[in-house]
Amino acid sequence: MSPLATLFRNEIRMLVRDTRMILIGIVLPLMVFPVLILVLRMVDRGESERIQAAVFTYAVTGPHGPWARELVGRALAHEAGPDLPGRFEERVTEHADSLLAVGTLHLIVEGAEGDPEDVARPPPSPGGATPSSSALLRLHYRAQSDFSRAARAGLQGRLTALRAAERDSVLDAAGFPVSASDVATVIPTNAAAPEREGNALLGLALTPFVLLLMLTGGSIAAVDTLSGEKERGTLESLLTTGLSRTDIVRGKLLAIVCLGFALVLVNTVNLLLYLVFGVLELPPHLAFGLAPVDVGLVLLLLTPLAVLVAAALLLLSGRVDGYKEFQIGFFPLLLGFVALSAAAMMPGMDLRSVIALVPVAGIGVAVREVVLGKHDWLFLTVAWTSSGTLAWLLVGLTERTLSTERLVGGATFDEAEVRGGPDLFPRRVLRWFAVLWAVFFTTSLWLGDTLGLRGQIFLNLVVLFSGTSFLLLRAYRLDWREVLSLRAPPRMAWVAVLIGAPAGYLTGVGLAEFLNAYVLPIPESVLEAFGDVMLDTGLPLWQLLLFLAVMPGVFEEIAFRGVLQHGLSKRLRPLALCLAVGAVFGLFHVALFRIIPTAYLGAVLAASVVLTRSIYPAMLWHILNNSVALVPARFGWIDADTSIPGRAYGIAVVGLGVAFWILWRFRVEPRRTRSADRAAGGDASRT
Amino acid sequence: MKPNGTGDVQVVGLQKTFWERGRGEIRAVAGMDFTCHPGEVFGLLGANGAGKTTTLRMLATVLQPTSGWATVNGHDVRTAPEKVRRSLGFHSASTALYPRLTVRETLDFFARVNRYPADAVEERIETLLDRFALGSYADARVDVLSSGMKQKVSIARTVAHDPPVLIFDEPSVGLDVVNALELRRIVRELRDQGKAIIFSTHVMPEAERVCDRIGIMHRGRLLAVGTLEQHRDRTGLHYLEDIFVAELERAGYDGAP
Repeated sequence: MSPLATLFRNEIRMLVRDTRMILIGIVLPLMVFPVLILVLRMVDRGESERIQAAVFTYAVTGPHGPWARELVGRALAHEAGPDLPGRFEERVTEHADSLLAVGTLHLIVEGAEGDPEDVARPPPSPGGATPSSSALLRLHYRAQSDFSRAARAGLQGRLTALRAAERDSVLDAAGFPVSASDVATVIPTNAAAPEREGNALLGLALTPFVLLLMLTGGSIAAVDTLSGEKERGTLESLLTTGLSRTDIVRGKLLAIVCLGFALVLVNTVNLLLYLVFGVLELPPHLAFGLAPVDVGLVLLLLTPLAVLVAAALLLLSGRVDGYKEFQIGFFPLLLGFVALSAAAMMPGMDLRSVIALVPVAGIGVAVREVVLGKHDWLFLTVAWTSSGTLAWLLVGLTERTLSTERLVGGATFDEAEVRGGPDLFPRRVLRWFAVLWAVFFTTSLWLGDTLGLRGQIFLNLVVLFSGTSFLLLRAYRLDWREVLSLRAPPRMAWVAVLIGAPAGYLTGVGLAEFLNAYVLPIPESVLEAFGDVMLDTGLPLWQLLLFLAVMPGVFEEIAFRGVLQHGLSKRLRPLALCLAVGAVFGLFHVALFRIIPTAYLGAVLAASVVLTRSIYPAMLWHILNNSVALVPARFGWIDADTSIPGRAYGIAVVGLGVAFWILWRFRVEPRRTRSADRAAGGDASRT
Repeated sequence: MKPNGTGDVQVVGLQKTFWERGRGEIRAVAGMDFTCHPGEVFGLLGANGAGKTTTLRMLATVLQPTSGWATVNGHDVRTAPEKVRRSLGFHSASTALYPRLTVRETLDFFARVNRYPADAVEERIETLLDRFALGSYADARVDVLSSGMKQKVSIARTVAHDPPVLIFDEPSVGLDVVNALELRRIVRELRDQGKAIIFSTHVMPEAERVCDRIGIMHRGRLLAVGTLEQHRDRTGLHYLEDIFVAELERAGYDGAP
């Protein structure tokens, strides 16, 4: 048995022997469903029996009281209407309002004075009382009381039925040619099978419910496995064994994942037994139905969540010093996970939206859709991948946390952690851009329509991107010339940009069309709507170019090809650097269909900075790229129906190749730049 | 398990620096040089905060040296940390046992994760149970044992994989007299088996009785290294406590650790 397997067996053995975990993680959830169903049934049955047997008391008030009393009497006697719950009794009182407030009365029927312009005079009824002026009937009830609500619904139903019957008889008496009750009859029919309605509910609640199970069960395992080891003093014993740090993390992670999955499996089977296979009779109007393949698919979708939860819990457990601190950190984690998983409950959260990219939330929506029988494989894959990627990153982070000496040392042995500054910046830059993305996403969601195009661009580019860049430059004491690559590029770089920008734009369009045709079909309406937002702004051309070409070209380059690229350049090789900068840039263009083309543009611009060691060509390239996209459409030279010939794409690819050949041929090596900088600053230092 | 390396510990110029907000740079270990040979108990004697535990944690690869180097059983602590850890047993007063495992499971776990030959693990466990008189408790869970028995199990798990090098970091803290005597007896026995043992303590009589050579440590440095007789000859003092104080005063001791 390998050391990793030995550790895993040991972890599982200790977890299984933890009675708290068995009780809270397995026994209690297993009992929840049958108890919940039994209680629901009991409550449902008991409530309907009590309402059927109830005596509903009502009082009649108002200036048209006699008319109202007579109307209610006829409505209660009108047998053609819906069934009445219980029995209705009038109570004569001077204090109807007070009695309704304390629950002695269930209903007040008020024969009120109506506005003669709005309220039709009630029809005279044979032998009935007729008010002397316009009148209306008000039903006062208390919504928080089941009995009061039932009384209102029952009486209102009878009154409506009575009104319909009397209207018909008036029409008949007036010689209406056909039976009035046959005219424009509205009969609502529910086309959905009862299982579909049940599944809709199940789809909304399944992911948050499963997450809760994973988090509660997993937390017991996680708190015991690292912070518990710290508190007990067993961690140092473990860290001084022949196990590698990676083995320790994987062994523990595997144990928590297995536990999480065991909990999910046990509870899923439990859920299916009651909801789908009907081991216990469900309350009326509640039915569910899931195909076995969908159950499997849901479990597959939940796999990255299990790893993600396990890694997050293990990371938290590794970072805190004991049980108490774990508890403090656990609740925000719990809230965060459950809030994200509840994305499926948000109205309008549809497939093919950017939510697929948001870990956990994407899975929540994906599970909902699968439970409803929809299988959008692209969305499912993207959602699975985004959560899986975050899980993978968290596992890596957890491994690194376990390797840090703080785990046993109690102090930090990392100078950069304490002193901050430029050495810490490369480790923090992605974290800051993740925060920036969250703020950007939220503001776009909530303020987009309010601010309008110019306001939104100003907020995003000037406040968010530039503000964050400036704050990061200050906070980490960075040399802004170095970070933003503010150097003159080789002259030939300008030639490369003039060739590369239109060529790059066209290849980007080609890529978008390819994706649209073969990978991610985007409805025409979405593309047109996006084009309308960009072009039908009513802005003059110069403003359009300023807001959509020049400002993005300057401010986005400062943030992405400046600050972000500088931070990542310390950790990544050039190719990975360009792809990473491109990917982050793409993620900031949150519409799903724009992400890959803009990521492509971002990677191209990053490559230009790598080769020229200057941000200026990237700025011009970006400005030209956006201008090429805007101007022809603005003047109507091209529209949505314009098809670009295939050879144009071929020429564009060649043009892009030529541009990069020039950039490569006249590239500036990092060493040369530093020496050039030294030479430039040498005179000053000598003086 | 036969040692496949040199069986000794070599420490040259070992340093460890860390940073704390408000305090800035702190040199926990400021350049240590010593060797511990097979069949020897090398004592690290120092007050609390002298840097003993940091030094031992670097040897156990829990901490990375800031500079200098050290080898355990011929393996470099920087480049071959897993081989180093498989070559040593680390025991300290602060280390504990898994409460929900039995004594047998505990020994099995530590033998296997330290890559003791799988086919010999059962035999090794029986030997240890017999040696530490734990046979009748073999299948009892650790959490029901007395503290003296736990101490025995803890030492047994330290040597479960029969490592050539053993590190004892203030092992007698919190022990009563009987258990402390038993601990010393076990340490001497392990030394006689040819183990290289580093024994850190701030208890002077314990160092006198257990250690073959003693290094007096203060503020992350070794002030003097030698046998008890060599320390006596050099200082002209008889008791280790007096020798310790004399060395500290010579180094400009001002009351701070």
